[in-house]
Amino acid sequence: MFRGSVYSGVEDDLKSLFNIVVSRGYRVIGPKLVDSVIRLERLHDFNEIPYGYEDKQAPGYYRVVNNGGRFRHGPDSPKRFLYPPELLLFIIRPNLSIEYPRFEFAKTALFGIKPCDLAAINVMDGVQGELGDEYYQKVRENLLLIVENCVEPGGTCFCATMGTGPFAFKGFDIAYTRIGNGAVIFQPGSDLGVDILSELGLRPAEDEQVDRLRSLMMEASKKARAEFTLENLPETLEMGLDSEVYRKIAEKCLGCANCNMVCPTCFCFDVLDEPELDGSAKRVRIWDGCHSYSYAQVAGGHFRKSLYARYRHWVLHKFVYWLRQFGTFGCVGCGRCITWCPAGIDLRQVVRDVVREVETRCRR
Amino acid sequence: MSRDGGKVKLAVFKFSSCSGCQDRLIDLGENLLSLTEKVEVAYFLEASSRTDPGPYDVALIEGSISTPHDVELVKEIRKNSRIVITIGTCAVYGGIQALRNWMNYQEVVKQVYPRPEWINSLEKSTPVSDHIKVDYQVSGCPVNELQLFNILKQVLTGRRPYHRLESLCQECKRRGNACVMVSRGIPCLGPIMVEGCGALCPSYGRGCYGCFGPMIDPKPDALAMRLEEIGLPKEEVIIRLRGFTSWSDPIRRFLERYERE
Repeated sequence: MFRGSVYSGVEDDLKSLFNIVVSRGYRVIGPKLVDSVIRLERLHDFNEIPYGYEDKQAPGYYRVVNNGGRFRHGPDSPKRFLYPPELLLFIIRPNLSIEYPRFEFAKTALFGIKPCDLAAINVMDGVQGELGDEYYQKVRENLLLIVENCVEPGGTCFCATMGTGPFAFKGFDIAYTRIGNGAVIFQPGSDLGVDILSELGLRPAEDEQVDRLRSLMMEASKKARAEFTLENLPETLEMGLDSEVYRKIAEKCLGCANCNMVCPTCFCFDVLDEPELDGSAKRVRIWDGCHSYSYAQVAGGHFRKSLYARYRHWVLHKFVYWLRQFGTFGCVGCGRCITWCPAGIDLRQVVRDVVREVETRCRR
Repeated sequence: MSRDGGKVKLAVFKFSSCSGCQDRLIDLGENLLSLTEKVEVAYFLEASSRTDPGPYDVALIEGSISTPHDVELVKEIRKNSRIVITIGTCAVYGGIQALRNWMNYQEVVKQVYPRPEWINSLEKSTPVSDHIKVDYQVSGCPVNELQLFNILKQVLTGRRPYHRLESLCQECKRRGNACVMVSRGIPCLGPIMVEGCGALCPSYGRGCYGCFGPMIDPKPDALAMRLEEIGLPKEEVIIRLRGFTSWSDPIRRFLERYERE
């Protein structure tokens, strides 16, 4: 068995894979149906994965139906585990000594995450790399990444535009694709992946299966697109700083920061101190986001007082500044900010409209 | 922070309200005991009939101002207290009883009381901060006891109290809830309301009804537009927004416009 090659199996092999991973001592986290939403949860049994359910996603809309279809991803992304919403940083004692919490970093397998979320982990690696968050790095070192390629992208997906999906090419331990009729194509992406998959006794995929895989990938890529391309995108967006589009969006936007919360790469945080009566204090880091009013508030002023400036900053960070800071786009095209926006704002349209406005202006 | 290095003198006062917020103090349980190591409860009628005439270091005020007598009393409290903290949505925003502010006062009194001539109250139920300078405000119906405890700890340790004023959505998502509006079509006021309750209602599958009041820089226009879009009739939108904090500045200003449109 070789890295990068494709092997043929059946759906029962997925169950065996799950059990092998468990028997190797991994805590498994994967998709699970909870209160009518597919969440990323600790799984104890392969059958907890809601295969056969479909998630219908549109701007501001999410419903799960049991129709034999496929699901994509819910509101949770790997960020929840790598960069938890609330984290105790340290406790400072009355004598000013500092106590750091001790965390257990269990070997964890992310089972069946989608290529966009894999890409998001790669993007977060760029942010939390050597000088980044220690907690993140510790969780990351212990991650086994098993990715399910996306044969049917959802209504808010645009990974193909962002070049992050719908199929994964690198950065995973194991990728698999359910190509229909119970057949599954497996692909090891690391030595560990080879080692684990070799236990399944798979045979190399047949030519017609590889052809089928290719055509599924082509079809899926056509679906997961926004109406803009990456070509000159940062430059174009920067020329559209004063675009009316942002002002119009700010009339719909609630400034609630749901988009920041569900974004698999948004990493902004607030730090809170909780003093105790004995003179000690806890310092806690919590998720925050650039849509928060207080986020850009500093001593003596505020750099993004109006909501349109905050919304615009978010867009520009994802598509312009991130490249300069970390060398990748900050957006992976998962579409969570679109689905989970309570106002139903569609980021794809916003970017498209700004690009169009700039292009029209340039033609004049 | 006490005057003489001894215990901090704490007083708890109540105006037009249900006592639910001061009861949250009692519900602190063990935390309340730890508090009494630093604090002398000098005036707290709900908990003790022993009263100390003051002056007080910290006064917690529950309830809205709704009678001429309230106005005099709350001014007395201010004079007699170093730090005044209003607790609960009545004290901070005027409360549910501020619904009468939107109606004809005489009509309301006639409807409620058999002998309206005996009633001596103000036409409007107003927040404490309309009458005196308030140092800190902790909203909620009732207040979240842990948030209140946290504020008290900050005051007692000499810090300037801070709690986040961002949308409930953030707290809701940090808790791990999926948005009830997006996943179930349940109308929710979370996107314009302040965090602090622990996202109680959405955690149990219902929409936020805004009992903690508006967040910082809220967008009621955008939310009302969206609620109508997902099928909530305008009258329902108004009822929801009126509910608890209709007399808070941003909601009130919005409603005055929206109801006329």
